[in-house]
Amino acid sequence: MSLRTEEMTLNMGPQHPSTHGVLRFVIKADGEVMREAIPDVGYLHRSIEKIAEKVGYHGFMPYTDRVDYVCAMFTNQGWGMACERLGGIEVPKRGEYCRVIAAEFNRIASHLLSVGTMGMDIGAMTPFTHAIREREMINDLIEELCGARLTFNYMRIGGVAWDLPPGWREKALAYLDHFDPIWEEYNALISYNKIYVERLANVGVINLQDAIDYNLVGPNLRGCGFKWDIRKDIPYSVYPEFDFEVPVGTGEFGTLGDAMDRYMVRIREMRESSKILRQALKQIPDGPVLAKVPRNFKPKAGECQVRVESARGDMGWYVVSDGSAYPWRVHVRTGSFAAMGMINKLSRGLMIADLVTLIASLDVIAPEIDR
Amino acid sequence: MANSYFGNIKDAVTTIFEGLAVTASHLIRKPYTVQYPDRVPVRVQDTLPFRYRGILEVDLDICTGCLACERACPIDCIVIVVEKDKQTRQMLISQFDIDIAKCMYCGLCSEPCPTGAIHHTTEFEGADFSLESMIRRFVPEPIYAYKPSKGPETDPRIIPILNRGMRYVNEFAQPGGEKPAAEEA
Ligand code: SF4
Ligand code: SF4
Repeated sequence: MSLRTEEMTLNMGPQHPSTHGVLRFVIKADGEVMREAIPDVGYLHRSIEKIAEKVGYHGFMPYTDRVDYVCAMFTNQGWGMACERLGGIEVPKRGEYCRVIAAEFNRIASHLLSVGTMGMDIGAMTPFTHAIREREMINDLIEELCGARLTFNYMRIGGVAWDLPPGWREKALAYLDHFDPIWEEYNALISYNKIYVERLANVGVINLQDAIDYNLVGPNLRGCGFKWDIRKDIPYSVYPEFDFEVPVGTGEFGTLGDAMDRYMVRIREMRESSKILRQALKQIPDGPVLAKVPRNFKPKAGECQVRVESARGDMGWYVVSDGSAYPWRVHVRTGSFAAMGMINKLSRGLMIADLVTLIASLDVIAPEIDR
Repeated sequence: MANSYFGNIKDAVTTIFEGLAVTASHLIRKPYTVQYPDRVPVRVQDTLPFRYRGILEVDLDICTGCLACERACPIDCIVIVVEKDKQTRQMLISQFDIDIAKCMYCGLCSEPCPTGAIHHTTEFEGADFSLESMIRRFVPEPIYAYKPSKGPETDPRIIPILNRGMRYVNEFAQPGGEKPAAEEA
């Protein structure tokens, strides 16, 4: 028998500190238990796909930074790869390595932000400052590489815009040496904290079939125990040359596919990224970093779809060219949008306080939902 | 039942102390916080890397008036007016405006510049009270465009500017790697 009270409609957002940007939820609650939480998206829609039709292929690169400003290297890379495939351009080997190095640093930075805010959202402020400190150091490195800390605009069609500066490699390796012990320290600080584990374990459990039906990607899908990583399964760039693992959820703290599993997948992925970076920094060949691409880049009429594994999972770039200097249609498929679609289903029967846990564990980034 | 209850409490307390040990260790580490803006030992601008993309600046002494930057900007925040002087048959730049409020500091304009005339500085504190004052006008009165001289008789006044410009240009990767790679393996 369950006691029912009058249904209450609550509004959460659009400006709520734990919604990671501008998100709004309409919550129907029975006491403290939610009946549903309806996500209301669209607050950050900036017509980025339409802008592409106006600014041309080269000029769109800085706009891709804004699709997902937390991991802009991947959006850069996706756009670059789509244009290269349309135009039949081959990126020099060193260029590909520079891309992978920049992107993997960016993945660590993005996951650091994700796991840091995870703690903050459920009330632990200290881990956030630790994670942000590490992220600042990565930002410093990237700033030296490309001159910006967030909206990198580092890649160009056909390669990257700046070669690694002198001495950067040593700095990057020194950072990785510093990062690996910090990773252990961070786990001691928060990941294995009993109270923290209790807050995350068994919350927002996603079973694998649902995850596939709702089209979840990236760490959210891997958290359900399914090994699917574009870097391994549909290899692009120079990823086949590296030796790394794809961490998946194990259900070690509760049920398979709960918030803790998704969190641990991110924590472990940082380790793997660090491994890739060490190999890439060691193996990077000499040579040019940018292919010859005409300023007035006009690919042949046609369409293409590329997929990159961004920090939030499979990111698809679909570009249609009509042979002119402007793309005819661009579409971006992002992981956050799919994750938002699932929140309503997952929220049923959850406590209101667990909704922020759920959102944080899905690592939803508001600008990526709407573009 | 009671066992797992007390076990939970014990686990919670030990893991909290593990975390606190990490926090305590930070008492003896070097602090990482920078107290911007008033308690920094050196101006932040001076600590930024050479590639930092701050507010744009133009050295008109070495601008050739080629309009490459104007064409490269995706949002048209550069306006250049170039005329041909009838008498001397030289290019005359009569207007060079950059709308700093509109600029997104992407760096696409400084990339094709042949002399490094347009470049990003490390200056970033650009707040002001009106949009009008955000438009940087670099040409107070019409000025002849720079023309690379064919001999060694480059005006000694502009040699340092030109060197700085070329250093800026050389930071950018060249298509096909025409210049030697910046870093040895
Ligand atoms: S930095 Fe970008 S937005 Fe600003 S003037 Fe140059 S090209 Fe235009
Ligand atoms: S600033 Fe550079 S790119 Fe722009 S007109 Fe002058 S020389 Fe040409």
